Amino acid sequence: MKISKRLYPYYMIWPAFLVYSVFFVVPAIIGLYYSFTDWRLDREVIRFIGWDNFRTIFTDETLILALKNTIIFAIVTVIGKNLLGIALAIGLNMKLKTRNLLRAVFYSPSILSILVISIVFTPMLRTEGMINRMLSAIGLDPLTQAWLTDPSIVIWTIAAVSIWQHVGFQMAIYLAGLQSISKDYYEAATIDGAGPWRSFINITLPLLLPAININLMLTLIGGLKVFSEVFVLTGGGPGNASQVVGTIILRAFGEGSWGLGTAINTLLFAGVTLISIPLLIFMRRREVTE
Amino acid sequence: MNNLKNRIAACLAAITLSVSLAACSSGNSGGSADNSSNSGASTIELAISKSSQDSAFVDQELLDEFEKQTNIRVNLQLLPAEQTTTVLQTKLAVGETPDIVQYNLASATTDLNLERNFEILDNEAWVSRLQNKEVLSAYGHVYSFHVSQDTGMQGVVYNKDMFEELGLSVPTNFEEFLAVCEQIKAAGITPVFMPFKDAWAANVWPAAAFADYAAKNDPTLIEDLNANRRNWAEIPAFADILKQQYEVYEKGYTNADILSDSYDMAVGKFLNKEVAMMFMGDWLIENVAEKDPSIHLGLFPIPYAEGASLGASPLGGQLFIPKKAKHMAEAKKFLDFLASKEMAQEMVNEQSYVSNFSDVTTPELPEYKQEIVEKYITPQNTVLTTDAHMLVDRSELYRYLQDQFAGGKTAEEVLQAWDEKFDQLMKDKGIAGF
Repeated sequence: MKISKRLYPYYMIWPAFLVYSVFFVVPAIIGLYYSFTDWRLDREVIRFIGWDNFRTIFTDETLILALKNTIIFAIVTVIGKNLLGIALAIGLNMKLKTRNLLRAVFYSPSILSILVISIVFTPMLRTEGMINRMLSAIGLDPLTQAWLTDPSIVIWTIAAVSIWQHVGFQMAIYLAGLQSISKDYYEAATIDGAGPWRSFINITLPLLLPAININLMLTLIGGLKVFSEVFVLTGGGPGNASQVVGTIILRAFGEGSWGLGTAINTLLFAGVTLISIPLLIFMRRREVTE
Repeated sequence: MNNLKNRIAACLAAITLSVSLAACSSGNSGGSADNSSNSGASTIELAISKSSQDSAFVDQELLDEFEKQTNIRVNLQLLPAEQTTTVLQTKLAVGETPDIVQYNLASATTDLNLERNFEILDNEAWVSRLQNKEVLSAYGHVYSFHVSQDTGMQGVVYNKDMFEELGLSVPTNFEEFLAVCEQIKAAGITPVFMPFKDAWAANVWPAAAFADYAAKNDPTLIEDLNANRRNWAEIPAFADILKQQYEVYEKGYTNADILSDSYDMAVGKFLNKEVAMMFMGDWLIENVAEKDPSIHLGLFPIPYAEGASLGASPLGGQLFIPKKAKHMAEAKKFLDFLASKEMAQEMVNEQSYVSNFSDVTTPELPEYKQEIVEKYITPQNTVLTTDAHMLVDRSELYRYLQDQFAGGKTAEEVLQAWDEKFDQLMKDKGIAGF
């Protein structure tokens, strides 16, 4: 038994640890220091300014809007990607003739470059674009929107595009989870008189928890770190309506406010860590094994 | 067995370490290694944005000629267009500077900390031959090099053929402008193309109109704004100017989806004769003429008030020498070479520039340019746009202007929001009064 536990000696982690330290840990620690300074493009001397950058973050209207948008985006995409992902996985786990084709179709958007997605969706989402025309054609005129140019809905539109793109990836993980559940449980449940809904709640969900956990973590972290979807679809506009933390960091660096940019980055890092680690611990405890 | 594993691990660690260190060191020594390998010859690095790679200064024949004459090779560093500023800021900050940089003088003062990072060129021989030093100067010194003094003009680009067909004359005030729009619209053509997905495009109208208003009615205004003696929001004329641009949109004289349409569609819109006018610079006329010389476009001043002047952009595309350039003498030699009478004349002829050297003659200009020179430049009926006077980044102002059209801000709110941002940016930059 001892052999299986120590199949590889601990020093095997050194190469990876070294790379990780040089390219991630050290810059992160240096970044932490710079986020407390007034490091700017036009300053020759970098001064320590305490919490000033963080005070700026929480008093700047645009930064608060960006935080709000990031949270909306994260919540909407976590719910959307996971609910749709489970639904698709269950659907495509059934015995369908076109099962493999459909799996490939639903998975394919997640391997596309975000730039391609932007080129496809930007014209579709115009006021006189395909989506609005389709809605009009089927008599749903009241639902037509200025998808990417109305400040009140733009972040939701971007979230929807992101869900469309990534749901296939979540689906693949759920499919793997579903296939690891033994058919015996369902058989036994059917004999005991359980319907499909009861089987889902009492067998599928608990045994799918490891997959749900990993997907929740992935989508949550991805959602909080959102950048490319917003950058390519709207650039944070119109005005600042769809700014998220990621695009605000870019703006801060562009303005030459390197200290402030680093501070926002530190805040994002801390936020993601503080939300995801407790969540991970909490969810691990609830996992069951067969 | 254990010994073997140890060795493998040690080897792997050594490889990773050396790879990461090699990555660092190659960046440092790249420039000097080039030098020594090329016996006697030296190489200077010229950094230029990918979007400017057609610049007359980096024409391959010209660079070859320079190498033949001086035995100095010019190595181009093409920077990705959207990252040019960031890359240059970083290079300058860490002292990894190229020997020559092509950039815009006005943006160099706001983005690249001109005074700290770049060499003053007052004592170069070619400076004495300049006709217009101003376009190359900042803070009272010549900081940059160019053979042209044509700064590019901003106003309303319009289709002359269309105006002629419809029997319209160039409007000289806002009422006339609206009337012209109405007639064009009645003819089934979109009067004004607003590509406001690109926020900067919303700034052409106000940048020229603000500057003209200040020059004619309130000469110290811009100086006062830059010294925090006055605020943007307390100038009622500014809000009125912003409201005018909005009115053009509100009255239906523009493309329908202004926030989805981008600048890169503009040339096509003019080529297809879908639109009659656009608030833009004369570079657009040149771009359209390249595709179809038979279309006649012209430029008139932003008609915010009676008799406005044509907006002049600050000159762009100058060459700069960083203070920390490793081959300062060679870089200066390159400027001398470009400034020589023959080379300058060649570039001026090829690019149809308005020459800035007293001994280099301006060639025959394209029709639209000739008209601008006669009607506006020679009678000095131009005004430098507000952008030319700003010391800080304006992209946030452009976003607020865009927001006005998204319904997020009124004209007054745009100016109030910009006041706050302007205040913060000027304070960060350490400008007196903020």
